[in-house]
Amino acid sequence: MKIHAIRARLAALLPRSPNRRIAAAWSVGVFLVAAATAPAVGISRDESVYVEAAEGYARFWSQAVRSPGQVLPLADRYYAANHEHPGFAKGVYAITHALLASGLGVTSHLQGFRFGAFLFAALLAGVLSLWGSALAGHWGGGLAPAFFFLVPAHFYHSHPAVLDLPETALWLATAYAYWRSIGGGGDQPRSGRWAVAAGLLFGATVATKHNGWFLLPLLFGCWFLSALPALLREGPRALAARFPLAFLSMAIFGPMVFLATWPWLWAHPLSRFRDYLAFHLHHENYAWMYFGSLLREPPFPVSYPFLVTVLTVPAGLLAAMCGGLLQSVARIVRALRGAIEDVSLPTEVLLSANSLFPLSLIAWPTVPHFGGTKHWMAAMPFLALLGARAVVITGRTLLPRRPVVVTGALAALALAPAAWQVIHVHPFGTAAWNELAGGAAGAASMGMQRQFWGDNMGRVLAALNEHAAPNARVWFQEATWLAVKEYQRDGRLRRDLVWATGPEDAEISVWHYHQEFRDKEFRTWTEFRSARPVAGVYLDEVPLIQVYARAGAWR
Amino acid sequence: MLLAAGVAGLGVYGIWFSATLPSRLPSLVDWQAAAALVARDAAVGDVVALAPPWAERAREFFPERLPLHPDVPLPVLAFPSYRDEELLGVRRVWLVSLPQAPGYSARVAQDLASRSSAVDGPQQLGALQVTRYDLRAPTTPLYYFPDHLPSAVALRGEDLCESDARGGLRCAGAPPVRVSREVREVDFLPRTCVVASPGGDPSHPLTIEFPDVPMGRALRGHIAAAGDAGQGTGSPVRMSVRVDGEDLGEVDEPAGHTGWHPFAFDTTRFAGRSLPVSLRLSFARPAREPTCLAAATLP
Repeated sequence: MKIHAIRARLAALLPRSPNRRIAAAWSVGVFLVAAATAPAVGISRDESVYVEAAEGYARFWSQAVRSPGQVLPLADRYYAANHEHPGFAKGVYAITHALLASGLGVTSHLQGFRFGAFLFAALLAGVLSLWGSALAGHWGGGLAPAFFFLVPAHFYHSHPAVLDLPETALWLATAYAYWRSIGGGGDQPRSGRWAVAAGLLFGATVATKHNGWFLLPLLFGCWFLSALPALLREGPRALAARFPLAFLSMAIFGPMVFLATWPWLWAHPLSRFRDYLAFHLHHENYAWMYFGSLLREPPFPVSYPFLVTVLTVPAGLLAAMCGGLLQSVARIVRALRGAIEDVSLPTEVLLSANSLFPLSLIAWPTVPHFGGTKHWMAAMPFLALLGARAVVITGRTLLPRRPVVVTGALAALALAPAAWQVIHVHPFGTAAWNELAGGAAGAASMGMQRQFWGDNMGRVLAALNEHAAPNARVWFQEATWLAVKEYQRDGRLRRDLVWATGPEDAEISVWHYHQEFRDKEFRTWTEFRSARPVAGVYLDEVPLIQVYARAGAWR
Repeated sequence: MLLAAGVAGLGVYGIWFSATLPSRLPSLVDWQAAAALVARDAAVGDVVALAPPWAERAREFFPERLPLHPDVPLPVLAFPSYRDEELLGVRRVWLVSLPQAPGYSARVAQDLASRSSAVDGPQQLGALQVTRYDLRAPTTPLYYFPDHLPSAVALRGEDLCESDARGGLRCAGAPPVRVSREVREVDFLPRTCVVASPGGDPSHPLTIEFPDVPMGRALRGHIAAAGDAGQGTGSPVRMSVRVDGEDLGEVDEPAGHTGWHPFAFDTTRFAGRSLPVSLRLSFARPAREPTCLAAATLP
């Protein structure tokens, strides 16, 4: 009886629409899987900075509520940390950490911050599913999130409390809200509520990372291109009648949300915004390996984001995504020629442009090339949508009477090896290369970037705890002091281990393989009088981390 | 149809790749077996080479010194090519290869085979292959300068440098200059060399004097800017070599000229004698990257 009542209550909570149920299932599933698999993922350099900043932001809000008159000095004090990025995503991390770790004490500190990241991943999954359903029915809604999250690099990004997956989720959500506001590409009425949502989501997007600012001109370009036939046919009045309210909403709410969620700007909005733009316009170039060459300064190869995508997205998914993109471009061409009636030009332009623009932006030779796939990750949900739709359409085309057979078989062939790779590579998402590259081993042979930013450190913590001599001085190299502090606070790393600044003052050296830093490894050999590691972390035999120790420091 | 074929074909390939990958890569037991084999049979003048060169997990398993001769090192080399490597003092190379690993190339094996008079193997140990190459013309140096730094004297200008606790030489001045034997990165590869930081005063060249150097027919070596390869922000360096007070020649290393650059001098007229050799380094300007210098006298 009791169980029956609980079941009835739970059923009442579920959305009535099957599409929404699928989306809700995806959101919950992604959230739970991310939460369950996060502890294995180490802390990257950027995450260590963001969580430190987020904790300060939480202090700001709690003190600002108590002392409203002190808001500006408090903002200057607490938001100075990591003021090169706005405050929205870090603010979410601050809330989840304050609630779950500091408040309720039900999670570790790191997991408390990361719950915010899981929420963004859940949002991304849900929106992908809803949009996929709208484009290609239940199969589309079921496949689109899988096409995104079963790319090992994307799965990895659903864990850390950083900015790239939140930015991707919010970019997608804004585009979806915009699409709904214009009537879902034409077959539904225009919606003012979705226009307001687009504005608020756009605000959250630009308040998360600077690449969000490209979204408004991109959406405007998509709309203009879609409206071009009407303009040619009916003149400028046609444009005025079709002008999306969402643009107005984005222009109003975008800056408002940006400013409201980033107190750092409050005291000197214009000068600090100028400094913020200047920082990103003149961002330093980190060294990066690409086909055996160390990229240090522009001009960088235009091929970089395209080939890295080809070599990191599991091949079956890649084929579906590329096929879906070609299919969409072909539909645009045919629609412009008036060849097919049932194609929504605004939808196709929106999906294609969002699939290509983030890649093309990073391809620009003077734009810094580092950070792997994450800098154009905003393109990937759109490619996932196009790939999922292409698989569904192929099923309908090849076996119209039983499309499920073909769609199901193709989905299984695309997703099974991808899932295998995700499981195999986890938690080394920054070291993931696909079967076309030959995995980590093939990529190492080709001279590609092996990993980045210290997140694989998580896998040597147990060995350090077990073998390091008491009070040993450890050089953590790519792992930041903030990351080490966080590991120690959560009890994952012994507190007696002491931070060393280099091999010269260390007894143990945790060498993270980076081609550009190899001199540090060889200096370790000199200092320790040994080139023999005492432990290591390997992916497919490829060294990611090798631990060296002076005599007596490793027991 | 094309899309279905592409997805299906690449999907099947992806499954095959993931399914076969573990068997293409060595297990712990394979590594241990290879290390035990080499440790048992290695002799003075042997080194281990890896193919592909990224397979540096081998360093965890192979002994750093010969078990029967603990004073003799057993270096593990991970160079992409051995065609132009001098391999000073090396008589035999144990090639440990992963021939089924993705991206494997036979280049290293071909390089070694082209320099060998005899090849023993390959011996299959799981996914590893161990092959011994006996070099056709091993080069045994009479004197390897980096190994004799503790007996050398260094001067900065006219001022004598002092030995420091870490086995190097420290020369007073602003900033101080240190001379030491180190393993440093040159073009991403480890090179054992005498490392000298440029210091701040170009008018005070650094002179390193090695007493009693057994001379042969040649003095050969390499010079490079160490570390942070590719930055090219260093200083031009001129090295003058004197034997027993007589000028032998000069080597110019321009700034930003990355790479491990060879030099060679004919010393036939000094052959058979032990003489003092001085290496004088003149830096045009202070620079971040130290100079990495390796040289040897050859019979």
